[in-house]
Amino acid sequence: MDWIALRPSLEQEREAWGWRALQYTPRVAQAEEALVLEVSASLRLWGGRRRLLERLFGQPQPLAAAQWAQGPTSLQALALLRLQPAGRPATDDLPLQVLSAASEHLPVLERIGCRTWGDARRLPRAGLARRFAGLVQALECAYGEQPEIHAWLQLPQAFDLRLELPALATQASELMWTAQRLLSQLQVWLQARQRGVLALELEWTLDLRRLNGMELPAHERLEVRTAQPTQDMAHLRRLLGEQLARASLAAPANYLRLRSLDTVPWAGASGSLLPQDDAPGEALHQLIERLSVRLGAGNVVVPQAHADHRPERMQSWHPARDAAGLLATARAGRRAGPLPCDALYPQWLLPQPLRLDVRAEKPQFQGPLRLLAGPQRIETGWWDDGARGPAVRDYFVARSEQAGLLWIYRERPAQDSAQVRWYLHGLYA
Amino acid sequence: MWRGPDLARQPAVVPSGLAALDAVLPGGGWPRGALVEVLQQSPGRHVWQLLLPALGRIMQDEAGPVVLVAPPWHPFGPGLAAQGLRTERLLCLQAEPRAARLWATEQALRCAQVAAVLAWLPQVRNEELRRLHLAAQQQERLLFVFRDAKDRRQPSPATLRLLLEGIDSIELNVLKRRGPPLVRPVQLPATSRRLAALLAARHSLRAPSRPPLSAAPLEESHGLDRTAAIP
Repeated sequence: MDWIALRPSLEQEREAWGWRALQYTPRVAQAEEALVLEVSASLRLWGGRRRLLERLFGQPQPLAAAQWAQGPTSLQALALLRLQPAGRPATDDLPLQVLSAASEHLPVLERIGCRTWGDARRLPRAGLARRFAGLVQALECAYGEQPEIHAWLQLPQAFDLRLELPALATQASELMWTAQRLLSQLQVWLQARQRGVLALELEWTLDLRRLNGMELPAHERLEVRTAQPTQDMAHLRRLLGEQLARASLAAPANYLRLRSLDTVPWAGASGSLLPQDDAPGEALHQLIERLSVRLGAGNVVVPQAHADHRPERMQSWHPARDAAGLLATARAGRRAGPLPCDALYPQWLLPQPLRLDVRAEKPQFQGPLRLLAGPQRIETGWWDDGARGPAVRDYFVARSEQAGLLWIYRERPAQDSAQVRWYLHGLYA
Repeated sequence: MWRGPDLARQPAVVPSGLAALDAVLPGGGWPRGALVEVLQQSPGRHVWQLLLPALGRIMQDEAGPVVLVAPPWHPFGPGLAAQGLRTERLLCLQAEPRAARLWATEQALRCAQVAAVLAWLPQVRNEELRRLHLAAQQQERLLFVFRDAKDRRQPSPATLRLLLEGIDSIELNVLKRRGPPLVRPVQLPATSRRLAALLAARHSLRAPSRPPLSAAPLEESHGLDRTAAIP
């Protein structure tokens, strides 16, 4: 048998250390202030004890460092861990203080001159068992003469962890420090479960029930989603940071809780042998998500073409976040040839047609316009009972001395020329 | 100031697709991994005519999107697609504050999958441009920054500075490039070939007899009289 006892330097990370240890052996148990893990069955898989210890405690790792000790039984490993600064004595010389089962009998044992494990074992077994309940059994377990019984740790199905903030947070950005700690524990959980996260929920508990006479909710929430499953916390941290920078707390918060909403099996990050495929920089969906969070989803858009004769309906703009998959899968190459008449469309379109002044029966835009080509008649949209009615227009290519070539139209049902309405709709660039 | 090693290395370029322009650009095209500054009086004019061939080409070669940061108007898909641009791979960012535009531009440059970045930055300082230039250099990106023509006297870290002028044809002054300065502006057509052909046909049709088409005679326009019917 081969046992490792480890004690995390931060009490809140005990659970996460347990999850981390579960990656290396299925036999992990809580033992008072520490964790004990039995590794004899998995030593060969990880290439020996030294390699296993290097992987388990080596840097870089998401959690704060832990103290550890190893021994042939869990109680010995634990005793050595408790004795850590004092060095490593022989098993018989271990003091009785480091054995939990002896802690309540310590004064009596001290008075009869019994200080070490060896002293206790030299006493008659029957009398010891009668006077000090549990001590004999603990010693026999520690020496490996009796089997040890542990309640083995199991990985939870979903990640749900709650931490107390070091101080009351009055601004959302102050939550970030604790959120980072939660994220690193999430990473450990994801690695242990072999899953990638798609959606998270950060929830903070408000310290006040009422503020200025207003009832406050007990919790406030923030949801973070990403397009592709990830185990990489750097992207999630940045997303969370952007969202927290925009969020506001209704009242000071004292607890923070992180939950995983949606996880999928993790396929692993795929690398490439070709150097040009491993371009430095972040992935496209990460860029789009970060831009969408900071600028607003409506400000990060991609066009989508529609079959319509009205220029303003020929394309619509959609948030890139929803179409990120489309953008990412678009391959290099040439598309099918466009319609020849499309070549006469302008390259810029005004978001709203601009009404033009008419002077001396000529439309004006930074001076009088000269019509060069047209009309191109559009008579469509009668089925749309919108406020604007059907589009009945004549499009012209016009030239302005100041602004170059423009794409303008006049609305057609005009009885007399005094009321002809001209609009600027596009610009040739 | 150019140092010897800068000039000795042949820069990576994307051919601009315009022969007259390729002849004056060092290396024969738009430099990759360097800031290209385009100064012009009215933002957006002639931009696509100047850049479309190169953008169409880079979209063929690379998979990522072309990012437009704060374009002055909406790019019109059908008009651009007709000239070989894959419009479904345009990514438009609207950002009003100056700092947000700069941030978005830099983030786009640092992304691994972006093919090119076009940014309209009317007020931008020299050190901010340098930052963008370095980001483009790091990632070997195609970066175009459009500024006001008033800024032509200000110093700039760009390796290529162009002044875009003209109405009926593009007059392109190369203010700064690697190599000897260019004295005469380059003349480029301001309209696509099809539109130019249409306008020429119209002109020759109208010139001998008819007066210029005015807005008044509405009754004469007819549904069959469509531009699409004219070659």
